[in-house]
Amino acid sequence: MAKILIVDDEKHIRTLYSDELKEEGYEVATAPDGNDIHNLIENERPDVILLDIKLANSNGLDVLQQIRNKYYNLPVILCSAYGSFKVNIKAIAADAYVVKSADLSELKKKIAQVLEASASQKGAL
Amino acid sequence: MKILENNPMNIEKAELIVGMPSLNETGTIANVAAQAAIALSEHFPGKSAVIINCDNNSTDGTMKAFMNAETGAIPKICISTPDGIKGKGNNIRNLFKKSLALDAKAIVIIDSDIRNISPLWIKKLLEPLLKGFEYVTSLYMRHKYDDLLCSLFTYPLTRCLYGRRVKQPIGGEFGVSSEMVKEVLKSPLWNEDVSQFGIDLWMTTLAINEGMQICQVYLGAPKIHHARDYIMEINPLFRQTVSTVFSMMEPFSKPWSVAKWSKPTAIFGFDEGEILTPPEVMVNREILYHKFKTGFSDNWDAYRATLSGENFQKLREIASLEMDFFEMPSSLWARIVFDFAIRFNQKTCDRLKALELLFKMYQGIVLSYANKTTSMNNLQAQEVVEDICLQLEQTKPYLVDRWKK
Repeated sequence: MAKILIVDDEKHIRTLYSDELKEEGYEVATAPDGNDIHNLIENERPDVILLDIKLANSNGLDVLQQIRNKYYNLPVILCSAYGSFKVNIKAIAADAYVVKSADLSELKKKIAQVLEASASQKGAL
Repeated sequence: MKILENNPMNIEKAELIVGMPSLNETGTIANVAAQAAIALSEHFPGKSAVIINCDNNSTDGTMKAFMNAETGAIPKICISTPDGIKGKGNNIRNLFKKSLALDAKAIVIIDSDIRNISPLWIKKLLEPLLKGFEYVTSLYMRHKYDDLLCSLFTYPLTRCLYGRRVKQPIGGEFGVSSEMVKEVLKSPLWNEDVSQFGIDLWMTTLAINEGMQICQVYLGAPKIHHARDYIMEINPLFRQTVSTVFSMMEPFSKPWSVAKWSKPTAIFGFDEGEILTPPEVMVNREILYHKFKTGFSDNWDAYRATLSGENFQKLREIASLEMDFFEMPSSLWARIVFDFAIRFNQKTCDRLKALELLFKMYQGIVLSYANKTTSMNNLQAQEVVEDICLQLEQTKPYLVDRWKK
């Protein structure tokens, strides 16, 4: 099963996402910030990253750029409490984005889609 | 094809090339060449470089203006198609042949009609090639109504088909490695449309499907050049671009039929340069509304023969809407595009007629998009484009099923 890395500064969000995604059968790792994101990726080897836009000490969009500078194909889903971040041009480097909600059905759908996209393209290209 | 050449400094080798395709661009080409020279001198001082104008035998003195341009220590070469042979694609093909002869490692192509080019653009396009990328496309800040053929058709369709998000696949400015040049020159898929306006999209499709390392660079500033997105009358840009994307579906049917959803393409260049507001582009909704309605009613039978029964019925319904309430749902646009793609690839298809019919539908989606985005800013309107893309991706099984039949 795929491994998901949750990067979010809010502990209750990390717990909520982690519990629900483990129930779905995913392996989960969490981190409170995106500092040293490259090491985090090397250590955890995630298949998908859920990245909060508004981290306590950094901007999730800048962390996304750091990820993309090295990992061009690693799926990243941006998460935010506000929909307005979607109109930031830097957000286009993400695979998908979701507005945070207690109902995780949209998030789970997006995770399935990005995994399916990665798998289909490995076969196609 | 015989290539005419003027190489006054007898340049036989160059690591970097900036190529400038042209046809009658005497007013702008000298400045573009001068900016290219600044970029090469300041940012790549240790590399041998040359600027090449690949022309269509212009009659307005373009080649002379180019050769007289102030480029300091950077040499210039001029090549041209013979008299009577036109097309941007032909120019680029000639440039690629010359780049092989010069043993170039990286080539950047810049349209010679740009009025606001900055040396930074060339730096941004060249750098990824020197780091191992093989195809670099440009990304501009655009007005929400600029280049709608890209926003509403080519980007959503190529993204849906091949599962890669290359936001502006017909951007005009791009970079290629020598490996990509070899792929282009050996490809058997070259045709008349590609030799004209279809070249940009053809290269993007080829790069994706040949597994080239692709990235995008954000140029920030809006491109100011000769406007080319015509939405009032069918035009060569529409015909050749659409024809190219549809024609490529047959040889690449295997990869696109298994690709699901889409993935972003690496993007660089957010950190440098100023982000400017693009100039306003107007859309005349009244004319679009009139053209769509008359186009549909005048070609009723042709649409019924091309579209599925359900899609034709839905089209009838929306054709009765008043202009201010006109909306073509993204899911319907997706299925119309797919119906036309299938029709275009049938042996019995009158392709020119099919493109004419699709153009009227394109006018409908432009009107629908204009209605939806009237009060939105440029970035908010991008969300509407994103929705169209997602609808095409979601509706793709419809295309795959019908294609197999």
